Amino acid sequence: MHTIRSLGADLLAISPELPDNTLTMAEKHAIPIDILSDATSEVLKKYRLWFAVPGEVKTLYLEKFGLNLEKYNGAGRWELPVPATYVLDQNGIVRAGQADPDYTVRMEPTEIVAAIRNIARGP
Amino acid sequence: MTLKEKITEFDVSRKRPPEVMAIVRRGIDYVRESGAAGLSVGERAPEFTLPNQRGEMVSLRDRLSRGPVVLNFYRGVW
Repeated sequence: MHTIRSLGADLLAISPELPDNTLTMAEKHAIPIDILSDATSEVLKKYRLWFAVPGEVKTLYLEKFGLNLEKYNGAGRWELPVPATYVLDQNGIVRAGQADPDYTVRMEPTEIVAAIRNIARGP
Repeated sequence: MTLKEKITEFDVSRKRPPEVMAIVRRGIDYVRESGAAGLSVGERAPEFTLPNQRGEMVSLRDRLSRGPVVLNFYRGVW
């Protein structure tokens, strides 16, 4: 993250969760990145990353993992984004990215840094 | 160690039973088939304004005026 900043880029993290009520304002100020709350899933949908959690996965989360998404997302919101990362140039064009429904597949930090360095070199 | 290796190591360490992993795998396949494929390289990222953890409104356009932006969509803190 410090490398991303040192290259002059910003990092925004987006989730469908409601704004956190468990942290104090001091703790919120100590978080060095912006954690954005897409409480209506409008942005998730615009980015074509939104999905409704299928029934058997919902049951698994509730009964095996003790995870009730409504506690985080709000009533009736059993919905999530496909985990995704996008590196945008200053025109807002996607220069590199990855989106994979397999939660174990993420864009490598080294690839993110390489993409930012590429932007600095020009289109 | 790459991030991929770290995630794989963590995922294996959870030792989830095969019947649980089968549900997780079917869930992943379902989402793949739903067509939620995200943006393509070369596409313009849609504009948005969302509140951050301090309740301040953050707009993508404003951040882009300062430099490149990395967007990370994550499922949640759980």
